[in-house]
Amino acid sequence: MPGNRTKESWRPWSFRRSRRSRTGVAVTAAGLALGAVLTACSGTDGSTSAGGKVVLRYTWWGNPDRAARTQSAVDLFEKKHPDVDVQTSFAGYDAYKQKLATQAAGGDAPDVMQLDYRMIDQYASGGVLLDLGTQQNALKTGEFEPGLLATGKLNGKQYAVPQGRGTETVVYDPTQWKGAGLEPPADASDGGWTWDQWADAMRVLKEKTGKPGGTDPGHSEDAFEVWLRGQGKALYTKSHELGFTADDLTRWWTFSDKLRREGVVSPAEQTTQIDGSVENTPLGRRTAFSDMNWDAPASGYLALIPDGIALAPMPSGADGTPGQYFKPSMFMGIAADTGSPEQAAQLIDFMLNDREAAAILGATRGIPVNESIREELAPKLKDFDKTIYAYQATLEGKLNTPPQAPPSGDSALQTTFQRDYDQVSYERMSPREAAQDYVTEAKAELRS
Amino acid sequence: MTTTEIPAPARTEKTTPVKRPGRQREGAAWVFLSPWVLGACVLTLLPMAVSLYLSFTDYDLFNSPKWVGLRNYTQMFTEDPRYWRSVGATLMYVVIAVPLQLGLALVVALALKNMKRGRAFYRSAFYAPSLLGASMSVALVWRALFNEGGTVDNLFGTGGWIFKPGWALVTVALLTVWQFGAPMVIFLAGLQQIPGELYEAAEVDGASRWRQFLSITVPMLSPVIFFNLVLQTIQAFQVFTPAFAVSGGKGGPADSTLFYTLYLYDRGFVASHMGYASAMAWVLLIVIGAVTAVLFRTSRSWVFYASDTEGGVR
Repeated sequence: MPGNRTKESWRPWSFRRSRRSRTGVAVTAAGLALGAVLTACSGTDGSTSAGGKVVLRYTWWGNPDRAARTQSAVDLFEKKHPDVDVQTSFAGYDAYKQKLATQAAGGDAPDVMQLDYRMIDQYASGGVLLDLGTQQNALKTGEFEPGLLATGKLNGKQYAVPQGRGTETVVYDPTQWKGAGLEPPADASDGGWTWDQWADAMRVLKEKTGKPGGTDPGHSEDAFEVWLRGQGKALYTKSHELGFTADDLTRWWTFSDKLRREGVVSPAEQTTQIDGSVENTPLGRRTAFSDMNWDAPASGYLALIPDGIALAPMPSGADGTPGQYFKPSMFMGIAADTGSPEQAAQLIDFMLNDREAAAILGATRGIPVNESIREELAPKLKDFDKTIYAYQATLEGKLNTPPQAPPSGDSALQTTFQRDYDQVSYERMSPREAAQDYVTEAKAELRS
Repeated sequence: MTTTEIPAPARTEKTTPVKRPGRQREGAAWVFLSPWVLGACVLTLLPMAVSLYLSFTDYDLFNSPKWVGLRNYTQMFTEDPRYWRSVGATLMYVVIAVPLQLGLALVVALALKNMKRGRAFYRSAFYAPSLLGASMSVALVWRALFNEGGTVDNLFGTGGWIFKPGWALVTVALLTVWQFGAPMVIFLAGLQQIPGELYEAAEVDGASRWRQFLSITVPMLSPVIFFNLVLQTIQAFQVFTPAFAVSGGKGGPADSTLFYTLYLYDRGFVASHMGYASAMAWVLLIVIGAVTAVLFRTSRSWVFYASDTEGGVR
């Protein structure tokens, strides 16, 4: 395209000087252009000072209810620390997981980040997380339950601190449940219910309302883990190998697939839309009447189901062996390369140990791990937080010990699980074929 | 970068004679080019070399890469059923989207060619979607249109195409087809190059419109068709944004829109297997190269260049 541009008439005026100065101009111009390119590349430095303030980036996943409470707590923190400006951002779990992985890989992890049990091994061993032991003055952990605190440790170093204690639950719409003539499921203190009893309840709901009773649990690795533990097995062995066989998985997927074919649980089109947000679950869309989820995020359903929701224990094994467990619901960690480790530690300390903050946050990230705050908070809990607290109380002493933190490959396998089940629920593969695919991929994932 | 094509020094330079003006100018050219040459080296060639190296390693983005030889490649071809599903989805997409898009682009270009009034308007109107093409927002709107309860569902009762494995791919392909503006503009330019005398002569001989299209338009346009075909095929192999947005990054439902680049992204950034992702990238590069080579080879038998004929049309 730019053909004979050596013609005199075309050349810009500024270059029509002696040759010497022309080269000089050229060098300057080129230098400027290069400088522009280089400055464009830098400039994303973890935390920078803007107007003399320390800027902290704080990211987390959750629902709008948690967003509102987190923002008020952060506002209070900023009031108490006028030299710090906290920039928060949040997303649904799936999107958050992807974004954080990309940021961490690019050396641009947020200063303070919310982490899942499944992320700690990967991020800590990858050098993304700061050893919180270096910030003991700013971040106190003395009042934390030692067992829970230890879940954030790797090789003796505290890389993350748990924010709360959570457990899985069957969330259901009690109005619809009653309308279908069903008794509320028994509490764990009354022996709970088995997977077969759960399936029967789903069938009754389907018969009486014409809609599926609940979410197809086949897509969820969490639900599978509960089912597996109800039989005395586990997702992973102590040596980070797969703790179950393709036969186990085949049986699980055959069980859920049969219910799906009967129309008793959600159809494939609904199940595939689940992305970690309550809005996109069948219960949230009001196309089904129950869901399996962790207890803390269940608060998000309240905005979608005005009649209210209730919590029931997860189904147990046929002999009553409980599969669910208390898990540190989520963690907070600091980026290893943050520019302001002290302020970042102060923010975490505030979110976990400050009484005013605790009152604002309630149980939105699970029941608090700071023991004196938990005792103080319990009688003051309101609305759904109270429900969560009461629900956890019924489980106290009834559950088996939690599994050790999952190996780093698990984070990817969670998604693989859902994708492989898509093949089953869309009837493109038999449960056995999909289970074999999963086990093959899981073995490759855990080997590396 | 030869100096031979540089014409004689321009007027002003006669006043300050130099021995080798060519060499001087070349120096200045290099100085001006340096940001881009440097950019090409640092931002393109170096990353390519690194990715080639990484494709032989196990690299999780955080720890240093471990050399594993050909393991990524063997795993890809023999142990990863999802890899083959992504290959299948991509080929299916290329086969559906490219011919449809080029066909539509040609039809619209033909319609616009003879249009007297409003041509500029229609040309811009049809081109606009292509300008928006790479944007996430268009794909998100598309998702909303074809979603369960979306406009298309309400109008035709489809029940949400993007959640039906058989239709999800077609929906994404339609999104590309709709963005046919770029090849259309090129077709239009090509059509305007065909000398009117040819049609006049054919008219005198009593050739029908269809006959004229087959015997004049297609052969005269064949270099442009070929150009568009190669370009759109290469682009189709690399489809990413629409599937990422429409399927929420998962390539679902049931892996039906799990295009090659989407799976590559998934391996690299979701599962943190950069080595594997790099190996996939190199296989894609080789495949695109091979497909392009095949297209070039077959082009000898159907692409007609006016300069090939003896005497030449022009």
